[in-house]
Amino acid sequence: MELVIDRVSKQYKNRIAVDRVSLRLTKGVHGLLGANGAGKTTLMRMLCGILTPSGGTIALDGVDVSEEAYRARLGYLPQDFGYYPEFRADDFLLYLAALKAIPIKQAKEEAAGLLELVSLSESARKKIKTFSGGMKQRLGIAQALLGEPDLLILDEPTAGLDPKERVRFRELIRQLGEKSIVLLSTHIVSDIEHIADQVLIMKDGQLIRQGKWDETQGNLESFYLECFGEVDTDEHI
Amino acid sequence: MNTFKTLYRYEMKKIVGRKIFRVMLFSCQLITVVVIAMHLSGKSYVDGEVVDTHYNMFLTDRAYERALSGRAIDQTLLKETMDAYRKIPDPAGRWTLTDEYQTYARPYSAIYRRISLFLDRDFLEDVLLWEADENAFYQARLSYLEDHWQKNFLTDAEKEFWRGKEAEVQTPFLYDYHEGYIMYIISFNILNILIPLFLAVCLSGIFADEHTRRTDQLILSGAKGKTTVYQAKIAAGATVSLAVTALLLITAVVTALSLYGADGFGMQMQAELYPFSYPMSIGQACLIMSAMALFAALLTGILVMLLSELLRSAVASMAVIISFVLAALVINIPSQFRFFAQLWDWLPVSFPDRWYVFDVRTIPLLGHCLVSWQIVPVLYLVCSAGIAVLGRRIYQKYQVSGR
Repeated sequence: MELVIDRVSKQYKNRIAVDRVSLRLTKGVHGLLGANGAGKTTLMRMLCGILTPSGGTIALDGVDVSEEAYRARLGYLPQDFGYYPEFRADDFLLYLAALKAIPIKQAKEEAAGLLELVSLSESARKKIKTFSGGMKQRLGIAQALLGEPDLLILDEPTAGLDPKERVRFRELIRQLGEKSIVLLSTHIVSDIEHIADQVLIMKDGQLIRQGKWDETQGNLESFYLECFGEVDTDEHI
Repeated sequence: MNTFKTLYRYEMKKIVGRKIFRVMLFSCQLITVVVIAMHLSGKSYVDGEVVDTHYNMFLTDRAYERALSGRAIDQTLLKETMDAYRKIPDPAGRWTLTDEYQTYARPYSAIYRRISLFLDRDFLEDVLLWEADENAFYQARLSYLEDHWQKNFLTDAEKEFWRGKEAEVQTPFLYDYHEGYIMYIISFNILNILIPLFLAVCLSGIFADEHTRRTDQLILSGAKGKTTVYQAKIAAGATVSLAVTALLLITAVVTALSLYGADGFGMQMQAELYPFSYPMSIGQACLIMSAMALFAALLTGILVMLLSELLRSAVASMAVIISFVLAALVINIPSQFRFFAQLWDWLPVSFPDRWYVFDVRTIPLLGHCLVSWQIVPVLYLVCSAGIAVLGRRIYQKYQVSGR
């Protein structure tokens, strides 16, 4: 299983958001770090097929990102998105399961399992408009896991979660990385410090550093600071 | 197919699950009922004095008109009518207040209205100059039609077409009380405003809300997000357009027929006052009007959905449709600009109206003259399909960026 990103760029009128990024990702957790405006979200959107690159190609095991077969193997948690307030949690998952073309019987089983996984079983029949921010984020994580995706793209997955939940989800993400390609973007270094097999650092649209965790000598914080120079560590760590 | 069905079900839920949908549906039904019923409310005044209530007047006229039901508008009935009206002592005065009118003439008022219209005489004293003559009556009707065709700038071929249709019309007409159907047809004046407004409010968010709510990211990254979801949304929007329109039509017809009476379905349309020579009954005319309303709602609904995706704003989409409704109400293209006038009258927000559906202006096609209720539905279906295809292209090319 391999995701090949070959010289992918995204240019807007007078700004290059992503500049010729090339990557080969295999199974495991890949942490994507970068300051605001570094191009992380733009890159992730291109990997999800919701933003067309200005140049370059993206393929999962040779299947181009523009194809339905690619998206059928994808799970995506956007950084910031809305819900259908009138839907119940289980409805929301069944709707997104239908979007992923998961057969209804399998979808029901998966939805129940995922709601259990994110501790929302008791709220399965409640309308989403009654949910707290943390509950919505957990529901978002559940929807990304529908269909056991081979490629999982998580943009700030732990935002809005309390410290206890954050620890739980780090472990969950680590487990997912054993059988899928997980690309995880975050501002919070500690989110990936202990689970990322590889760290990718973006700056000004370019991939400026790519390395194994052990190459950072176990100190991701200094690795990050090395790449960005003087940064407000409180903001990012 | 199962994926489509599931997505369709959820798209329906997104539309009908909103509170605004229920509020709009209730409001539109209430307005429809009130508008149809309000003809029976109120009182008639003369010099500040109440003469009668509208409801009593309706009951009286209905009894008289029912008494005429089944009678041919022939020499006998025309003569009876004229004789009755000649009993009015002062035709130049306020003759409707006289006992002679109330006693002798009023039972024939339905026939009198037809004589007055076809002779093109507004005043009773002028009508009374006419001697009842069945042949002259139907000849006057033909002259009235020829004049109407001329005013509508019909071509010679069209006039010939209508003369041919007129030859198929059976005379003398058989009169039947048919007020319920007339009230239903008149109710399209308000339905033509309510239905587009309803669709503008309830469908304008179908695509726009996904963008503003940012659920588009989840949808478009799904395997079926760029294909089946679009089809499911269009199908759900079309279903709602048709179902809501059908419901409002049913509300209108049930209200009209229960208040004013359901008799007269089979009365030939020409016995009514519309200058339209196609042989059909007033009931068939109602069915055709209803079908036109459904076709128009389908096109309006698809148009609202296109605007929703194109403008990515529910409010902006609503504004466009409301502008169309208002424009159709206030802008009238003079009939000498026939092509543009005809096209304007075919706007889905105004077309389901008796004057446009039963329009004498036709469309020439392969040596035939097609009337508007034959050609416009085809045009609407083609436009709906075209708009749906265009919307699909816009939808699939949408780029999630810049947030």
